[in-house]
Amino acid sequence: MKILVCIKHVPDMESRFRVNEAGNWYDERDLAFRLNEYDEFAVEQAVRVKEQLGGAADITILSIGPDRVIEAVKKGLAMGGDRGVHIKDDLVYQKDPWQVASVIAAFARDKNFDLVFTGMQSQDRGSAQIGAAAAELLDYACITTLVSFEISGDVVTARRELEGGMRGAVRFKLPAVVTCQLGLNTPRYPTLPNIMKAKQKELLTFPIADFLNVESLAETEKMYPPERKGRGLVLEGDVNELADKLASILKEKAPALR
Amino acid sequence: MKTLLICEYRQGKLLESTYELLAFAQRLNAESAMLLIGSEAAAPAFSGKVYFADAGQYGEYNPDAHKRLVLEAAQKENADYIVFLHSSYGWDLAPRVAAALKAAQVSEIVGMVDGRFEVPACNAKMRRLLKPKTAQAVLTIQAGAFNYQGEARGTPQLERLDLAVSAPRVEFLGYEEAEKKDVDLAKAEVIVSAGRGVGKQENVGIIAALAKVLGGELGATRPVVDAGWVEHTRQVGSSGQTVAPKLYVACGISGSIQHIAGMKKSDFIVAINKDKDAPIGEVADVLVVADVMQLVPALTTRLSK
Amino acid sequence: MYLELNEEQKLIQETARQFALAELEPVAARLDQTGDQEIFWSNLKKLAELGFMGLNIREEYGGTQAGMVAFSVAITEIARACASTAVTVSVNNLVCDVIQAVGSEAQKKAYIPKICSGEYKAGSFALTEPGAGSDPAAMTTSAALDGDTWVLNGIKRFITSAPYAGVFVVWGVTDKSAPKGKGISCFLVEAGTKGLIVGREEEKMGQHASATTEVMFEDCRIPKEALLGKINDGLKTAVVELIGGRVGIGSLSLGVGLAAMDYATRYAQKRVQFDQEIVKFEAIQWMIADSYTELEAARLLLMQAAFRADQGRSFAKEAAMAKMYASEAANRACYTALQMMGGYGYSKEFPVERYTRDVRIASIYEGTNEIQRKIIAKEILKNLQQA
Ligand SMILES: Cc1cc2nc3c(=O)[nH]c(=O)nc-3n(C[C@H](O)[C@H](O)[C@H](O)COP(=O)(O)OP(=O)(O)OC[C@H]3O[C@@H](n4cnc5c(N)ncnc54)[C@H](O)[C@@H]3O)c2cc1C
Ligand SMILES: Cc1cc2nc3c(=O)[nH]c(=O)nc-3n(C[C@H](O)[C@H](O)[C@H](O)COP(=O)(O)OP(=O)(O)OC[C@H]3O[C@@H](n4cnc5c(N)ncnc54)[C@H](O)[C@@H]3O)c2cc1C
Repeated sequence: MKILVCIKHVPDMESRFRVNEAGNWYDERDLAFRLNEYDEFAVEQAVRVKEQLGGAADITILSIGPDRVIEAVKKGLAMGGDRGVHIKDDLVYQKDPWQVASVIAAFARDKNFDLVFTGMQSQDRGSAQIGAAAAELLDYACITTLVSFEISGDVVTARRELEGGMRGAVRFKLPAVVTCQLGLNTPRYPTLPNIMKAKQKELLTFPIADFLNVESLAETEKMYPPERKGRGLVLEGDVNELADKLASILKEKAPALR
Repeated sequence: MKTLLICEYRQGKLLESTYELLAFAQRLNAESAMLLIGSEAAAPAFSGKVYFADAGQYGEYNPDAHKRLVLEAAQKENADYIVFLHSSYGWDLAPRVAAALKAAQVSEIVGMVDGRFEVPACNAKMRRLLKPKTAQAVLTIQAGAFNYQGEARGTPQLERLDLAVSAPRVEFLGYEEAEKKDVDLAKAEVIVSAGRGVGKQENVGIIAALAKVLGGELGATRPVVDAGWVEHTRQVGSSGQTVAPKLYVACGISGSIQHIAGMKKSDFIVAINKDKDAPIGEVADVLVVADVMQLVPALTTRLSK
Repeated sequence: MYLELNEEQKLIQETARQFALAELEPVAARLDQTGDQEIFWSNLKKLAELGFMGLNIREEYGGTQAGMVAFSVAITEIARACASTAVTVSVNNLVCDVIQAVGSEAQKKAYIPKICSGEYKAGSFALTEPGAGSDPAAMTTSAALDGDTWVLNGIKRFITSAPYAGVFVVWGVTDKSAPKGKGISCFLVEAGTKGLIVGREEEKMGQHASATTEVMFEDCRIPKEALLGKINDGLKTAVVELIGGRVGIGSLSLGVGLAAMDYATRYAQKRVQFDQEIVKFEAIQWMIADSYTELEAARLLLMQAAFRADQGRSFAKEAAMAKMYASEAANRACYTALQMMGGYGYSKEFPVERYTRDVRIASIYEGTNEIQRKIIAKEILKNLQQA
């Protein structure tokens, strides 16, 4: 079985974001990057499939971006991927999802992957487009937002997450693109020996020009912090004083205390 | 400008959220038509054209067929914008429609500024302004971002779509309620919710104790539920319960879109967060900047007196 | 000059950080108060399974072979959450390093994998004696060959992990007539060996979850092959291997110091006195500036020592400097952090009180800081003489 996992290296979301000089993205300089949370579930699921098949699967971990993304690829390899693919693009943030999906599709086109895993969205851009758009370009079936995944032969039974605590159960045949939602599994910590062994795994690097043959369809003109609506009251200071103030507010608001 | 609005339909019913699409079209000042893949009985209250395809024939969940129906309707309508909700239905379908049309897609629109679409980024800590470069574009709008004013009225003119579609690649097996509901958060007057900021399972008790003195129920965010610290039935948010209590206290919760979607209709919202910039501050009536583990026990003591 | 971790080191740091946040930090206060061993051991087991017990150990013995820089950043992350766990991990690494450095192939195969995999909860490093602390050459534990067995007699003191260690590296005098320090050899003694008696636990000021006990040898017989390294060469082994151990203790110190300052700084942003957050007082800002500068300097010293080790260069002086400076900077940082928090810093309700107790030992064990200064001066003077 041939598996492709597409992952992204994103800033830690607890960071303080500053806008870059061009005003159209965040300034990457002082941010700590890590593997996109959703993609951890994608890598984990791919590795579980391989384990279930007694190792009879080959997992390619792909990431597009500047050199720093190799760290994310290596994490994927340390978790159990077999081969890394780094499609190098220092300006990946300027590519729209359509271009990113096109690059993935161009890479995957002649490789007959049986399964393509991605996260359902990235934490920074959050567009939730890549997996489904790549599927369309590859003419693969696509199932998004999975919270369960079971494979037997070439048939997958899975659950999609819907709104309001509902799930939708589906069954499909390979090949397919699936996008992974939080909670799909429990991603493993990469073990240290596996982190070290990842160094020996194949890591292929390609310039983005090898796979990029479309123009962007949408442009980010501006990025900025959301406007403070200033609706609410902000209380700061000493914990005991805060507790006093809040207690008196709550006494008024909680029906049980009135 | 013409929009084609894609209705949300599930288990034989039109979802209320469909009207948010109409609200968005109003904001755009656009002419609209709708597409319903569902049942005739569930047609939206809307005086305009509704392209209609029978879910009995095409299936409620059949991405390949639905994509083709959307493309068909968009062509007939010559729509500039094809608009979905940013929902499990929309994010399954919208990228495929956009890719098929080679049209720009803008996801999770929350507003419009100077003719550009505004969308959240970085877990709602930032915003982006986007401009589609193609004449035709696919849009998804954030659930709850556009509210339909007043009561929807009107009788649509249905135009039936008939397409021969091939066998679906994805077979739909049915709906499942994630878990049985033993608590009904929707009825609670007070909800005190724990987020990842409570740090560990042991601390959930401290939040529950506050809920108790306030005479309310314990709620939680999804990561807290996923970690198994609190049962799923208490999850608040777009994939959990939607609640509207008189008082909602968010403890160590960042205020992601998905969480806010489930609680923003609460009458009074108090947030306790150590990060003054946490997006929960945007919906909170009171944001208390503090460590939950220090503040909540002190608060509970005062309230129990 | 390139002051950046490589990808493997970053991933190891991230794994350590995530593990520490998820598994260690939530239980650290409880371990300090009750010494809950089940939780402590289960965390050690998980850390072993992740590969934290043999960072410098070759793969064939079950190690990670990630190097000293990786070891340093891993110990720092673990110590940010729980110093007791960090010291145990550091000593386990040290024990593995000793065996790998001088052990026979059979010894390496027999013991290192058991520590690395977590089959042994820990390994112990038994050098110190009641009469031989800073001056280990003054030890009196004896090892005499009787036919095919060595017979050990004597007392070791302050031995980390002794009650649950699977194997002990023990030093004893094998040649009483040799000049001081030249007649000491090193041995491997398995837990449960008759005559090895683990004494009462020390009641310590801090690092409560990590047990420290006396270990007695009473006619303790071990096979002839239990000799570790060359006969009468044991003290040198101890001296050489402790160099790496010092990077561990320095890194532990850094972790605790950072945890204390991070906590206190956040506290100071919230605490209001004289109608403003105390962080607005210049006095508090200077505390923050000084402490973080010292901790950063400690980090750079540690990185330099570890980097030299990974390059195969000498690092005795650098490791001594790093251990000495980091442990003192961290002690000052904890003092400062506690001061910044006023009475709340002194209360057990807040973790700074624990950090302050936990970090105190770092300027004492694995060679007191006075001994580190001796080493540093000796190395400097040695080079001056050569010039
Ligand atoms: C399709 C989809 C559906 C989803 N459905 C839901 C849903 O139904 N419900 C839901 O909740 N989420 C849902 N999510 C997940 C959502 O995106 C967020 O990941 C989640 O809500 C974040 O939870 P949190 O606020 O607890 O954690 P975080 O985002 O990690 O926030 C923790 C907060 O705690 C603060 N904090 C940390 N320590 C302390 C302390 N000691 N004192 C005070 N504050 C502290 C931090 O500053 C931070 O703001 C969904 C996501 C997707 C993609
Ligand atoms: C919690 C803990 C865990 C430990 N774990 C281990 C372990 O696992 N294995 C192990 O073998 N040991 C261990 N030790 C022992 C530790 O390494 C020794 O305590 C340390 O080496 C100091 O020895 P001492 O206590 O006998 O002090 P002493 O050597 O008696 O020192 C007393 C004072 O005299 C100073 N001093 C001594 N000689 C000189 C000198 N030449 N010049 C200047 N000043 C000098 C010292 O610096 C110190 O200030 C541990 C100790 C503790 C407390």
